[in-house]
This record gives sequence, structure tokens and C-alpha cells, in this order.
Amino acid sequence: MLYREAGDFKTTYREDNQTFPIKSERILFWAAMAFAFLVVPFFIDSYWEKSVLVPLLVWALVALGLNILTGYCGQVSLGTGGFMAVGAFACYKLMTAFPDLNIFFVVLLSGCVTALVGMIFGLPSLRIKGFYLAVATLAAQFFLIWVFNKFAWFYNYSASGQITAPERAVFGIAVTGPNAAPWATYLFCLTILFIFAWFARNLTRGRVGRSWMAIRDMDIAAEIIGVEPLKTKLSAFAVSSFYIGVAGALFFSVYLGAAEVTEAFGIDKSFLALFMVIIGGLGSILGSFLGAAFLVLLPVLLKNLFVGSLGWPTDVAAHIQIMLIGGLIVFFLIVEPHGLAQLWRLAKEKLRLWPFPY
Amino acid sequence: MNVHIREDMSRHTLRADDGIATGGDLLKVDNISLSFGGVKAISDISFDVRKGEIRAIIGPNGAGKTSMLNVINGFYHPQEGVITFRGKTRSRMRPHEAARQGIARTFQNIALFKGMSTLDNIMTGRITLQKRNMFWHGLWAGPAEREEIEHREAVEGIIDFLEIEHIRKTPVGSLPYGLQKRVELGRALAAEPALLLLDEPMAGMNLEEKEDMSRFILDVNQQFGTTIALIEHDMGVVMDLSDRVVVLDYGRKIGDGPPDEVRNNQDVIDAYLGVPHE
Ligand SMILES: Nc1ncnc2c1ncn2[C@@H]1O[C@H](COP(=O)(O)OP(=O)(O)O)[C@@H](O)[C@H]1O
Ligand SMILES: [Mg+2]
Repeated sequence: MLYREAGDFKTTYREDNQTFPIKSERILFWAAMAFAFLVVPFFIDSYWEKSVLVPLLVWALVALGLNILTGYCGQVSLGTGGFMAVGAFACYKLMTAFPDLNIFFVVLLSGCVTALVGMIFGLPSLRIKGFYLAVATLAAQFFLIWVFNKFAWFYNYSASGQITAPERAVFGIAVTGPNAAPWATYLFCLTILFIFAWFARNLTRGRVGRSWMAIRDMDIAAEIIGVEPLKTKLSAFAVSSFYIGVAGALFFSVYLGAAEVTEAFGIDKSFLALFMVIIGGLGSILGSFLGAAFLVLLPVLLKNLFVGSLGWPTDVAAHIQIMLIGGLIVFFLIVEPHGLAQLWRLAKEKLRLWPFPY
Repeated sequence: MNVHIREDMSRHTLRADDGIATGGDLLKVDNISLSFGGVKAISDISFDVRKGEIRAIIGPNGAGKTSMLNVINGFYHPQEGVITFRGKTRSRMRPHEAARQGIARTFQNIALFKGMSTLDNIMTGRITLQKRNMFWHGLWAGPAEREEIEHREAVEGIIDFLEIEHIRKTPVGSLPYGLQKRVELGRALAAEPALLLLDEPMAGMNLEEKEDMSRFILDVNQQFGTTIALIEHDMGVVMDLSDRVVVLDYGRKIGDGPPDEVRNNQDVIDAYLGVPHE
């Protein structure tokens, strides 16, 4: 009787709207959160921080943002790397221009700047769809990287063209710069991700999410029942870019510490984010997390296995890893287009019926 | 059961009071002409829809019926003519603006949101009635949740009414055709429209499904007082349901009046029997 709906009747619409309608699921979720917030910080070291946990949190935020645009609203984007760069450079400019501004607000403002930029590049979505929109966002990607390379103002005329995050603190505890402790950067990112995921879940379960999905599923019918296409698509671009901008700001300031735009925010990042939402599950909050976890953890695991345990050369291991991920993407596109989130749902169905599968 | 639905529905009376008495002109289309390149889909058509009635639009395939509905809800823009809805003459209007003014519709080819459940599809029908902005919805607790629950109650009334409780949480893509048509009607009803446009609501249904759908249409009209304009091929159904009938043929109006009168009109008989045009 670990996982049952029986005896867990919904008597109000409020209960029926819950994020985790099944009690055991709710308990599991809060236990996991307690572990993440209260236990992990005591054990985290800099390897786990830099190789596993912080990239996982940041990429989960990116995937969440892209999933809102592509998974929920149906607008394909290949500009994710470029929007992350906008967040990163906004963060850098704000950090250096306003040294006293709390980093939390710097990160949020970076998201706002990215949201504006995202809306501008979202304007063509009113006229073009699908493949053509993907190409337009790809153009945004290259344009944005070009801009950040071209105009030295963005990197404060530094000779290397790099941007470097100065030390900033929250409640007197450094979360950026070389002196930031692993637990501090981890908790900072985790808190932001938690808030953003909760917000995204709320947006997608109500009116806003339905208007996005209506546009995704059938835009003409959506307009005829009163969904304004321009407003709705732009709102998806804005929210999505906001998330991706915040993630880009964290990626630069907390995770990398120093960044060169072409290397840190290239087209490969756009594809990585897209693969995350495809593998994780389009139109699923959980899927964003599963996809990010999968693509952040898999390379770490494979590297430990191939290079660490089997002693293979790193370049061979890297190639095998790329092929494996490519194969998995093809697998998911063909066999399970709804991604890991759907596999999870199916597993739950089985568990619910177990041990009497009738 | 239906009594409490009525209460649910009437709590949202924002669109009911437009000063037009039952039987007055809710919609008037005057001298509408619409062409696509060289093809004239509608030529100089005028008719009216009175508040509270069921108005049928009939005619052979390609007569321009669907185009007429598309003109009424702003999806097509006629080259000529005037549309007056609820006393206001309208100029060019986008479909979502028409929706806001109280026009809802269903489609000849089902146009549900395939990735969403029955419940979410019908909830989407209330999008023009939901007022809370994105910020509140992101916070959820408080105003947004109250709004969602309030609309959920209204939608549950519609779900009861259409007898689709059992498929509430089912993704609509996996439903049989007849039920999809019913969900689509539910989505249109959810908007509490002043004028409901139905494009061949019974096409492709078996007899039993047709009878169910006819009953729902009559009930919508009588219980909620919703004015309905519907396109239908089945003459029997049209005679049973409608108060007045407009007959179109090759983009022109060839008949207009009560069902009995239209049925005996020679032009109409010719059009339906496929008598060649001179
Ligand atoms: N979007 C369009 N583009 C070109 N021609 C159209 C379009 N919509 C309708 N038509 C033409 O207008 C005429 C009327 O079509 P329609 O309104 O669908 O007829 P009905 O619904 O009565 O069967 C047909 O000749 C059709 O080909
Ligand atoms: Mg038609």
C-alpha cells in the first residue's frame, strides 16, 4: 500500500487541482526537497558542486524555460544559447555597474532584460511557424553572439574579451567569485530553481498554460475561442526568455565565474537545451528536470565509467558519448515522443495497479 | 440536475444584458460578398438572426455556408457588406475580438486541442471570462486559484449537462468522434456565448448520436436561452430543430423562412435535387 489512490478521494476542486494528487507522491516530493535543502549542503564538495549539482540546477532552469516556449506553446527555438548570453552579459553589466545591488536582484533583472530581448525576437512568430521559426531563432542565436563579440562595451573593454564575475554575497555569504563555498552556490541556485519551478507549475496548470497549449495544438481554433495569438505567443517568449536569462546569469556568475561568449553560449548550448526538453518530455515540468538530469549526469557517468574504470582515452570516450546521446534522441523521437516524463507516468500506472494488473 | 446548472450559468450574466429583447435582431448581415481570388464564395447575401431562435443555414456542398460563419466570427473579411451584432455595426474584426463580443462556434472538422484533456479543452472555452493576469496565476494561491475554481464549477455544470463526466480527464485525441463533437460543443458553451455558431454538428454521426446532439442543441437553446445559428445537411434534423431557415446555393441566398415554407420552395427543391443552373 505504498502507492495508492484508493481512499484518497478528491472532494473539492481545490484538491483535484493539486500538483501531486496522490498522498504518497506528495510525501516523496517533500522528503526529496528536505534532503536537497537540509542534507546535501552538509556533504557537498567542490567536485559535486562543479561537475554535477550546480550545472544540473542551472540546466534544469534552462530546460524549464525552453519547455515553456517549445513544449507548452509549440514555438520551436534554437536561440537558447543566445538568450543565455543575454542573461549572462546583463548580469555582468549590472554587477559591475551597481556593485551594491544584491546578486539575487541582479539575477532577476538579468532575466527581465532577456525577457525583453526574447519578446523582440519572438515577434516573427506571429507570421512564421515551425521550421521557419526555428531558422529565425537560429539567426537570433548568431546575431546575439556576434553583438557580444563585436561591441567591447558589453565586456567592459577587457583585453581578453572575457567577462569575469566579481564576488557578491547573499546575507553576507559569497555566492559568486572564487571564494564562494560549494554549499552556498548550490543553495543559491537551488532556491532560485525551486521558486521558478513552482511558478512555472502554477502558470502551466491554469489559464495561462491553457492559452499556450491552445496555440500549440491548434492556433486557428484558439484564436476563434478568444485567445489572442500575438499576446499569447509573446507572453510565452517573455516568460521563457526570463527563465533562460536567469539561468544564463547563474551559469556565468555562479557556475563558470568567467566566460567567453562564443565558447560559453554557442549553438551547441541551444541544441543541448532542445535535446533536454525532447528527451525529458515536451510540455512537462517534470520532463524538464528529467531531461536536464539525464544530459548533465550521463556524460559524468560515462566519463567515470570509460575513462575512470575502463581506462579508455578521453577522446574515444567523448565520441562514444556523443553517439550514445544522438542515438537516444533518435530513439525518443521515434519511440516515445513524450519523453522520460511519459515513461515515468507509465511506470506509475503500472505501480498503481501492482500487483493486480487488471 | 439541469436546474442547478442553470443557476451556475446565470451567475455569469455579463453578456446577457445587451438590451435586445427576445425576438429582436441579434445579428444582421447585409449585402455580404466574399471572394477568394476569382472564386465568389458569397454573393450579396443578407439575413438576420433573432435573439433566442435557432436559425438553420442549409445548402449543397460548396454553397458558402462555412464561409458565412467564418465571416460572422471575423475569420474571413468580406469585400462588401455590413455586419451588425448586438446593435453595433462592426468593421474589420479579428476572431478573438468576435469571441469577446460573445460569438462562439464549433467546426465542421473537429478543432479540439488534441494535447489537452476534456476538462482543459472546456476550461479553455472560458478564456475570455478569466481576468487574472500572469503574475497572479504564477502565484496561484489567492485570486488565481479562486478564479480557477469558480470557472471549474461552471465547467462542471457543462460537463454534467453534456453527460461526459466519465471522460473528464481523458486526452481528447483518444476519444471517439461522437464524443469529440460533444466536447467541442462544451468548449463553445463554456464561453456563455450570446450567439452560438454550429458548423454541421451532426455530420458523420449515427442516428443515436444525432438524436443526442439534437437534444443537447434544443436544451441549450431552451434552458440557457442561447441563440443558435447552425449549418446542417440532414433536412429532417433541420425541420425538427430550427425556427427559421436560410438556404444558400452557389453563394447566393435562394430561400429564407420557416422550415415548412422553405421545404416547399421550388428553387430549394431544385438546388437539392441538383437541377442544373441555367
Ligand atoms: N480559404 C478559402 N480559399 C479559397 N476558396 C475557399 C476558401 N474557403 C472557401 N472557399 C470556397 O468557397 C466556396 C464555399 O465554400 P464553403 O463555405 O466551405 O461551402 P460549404 O460550407 O457550404 O460547403 C467553395 O467553392 C470553396 O472552395
Ligand atoms: Mg462547410
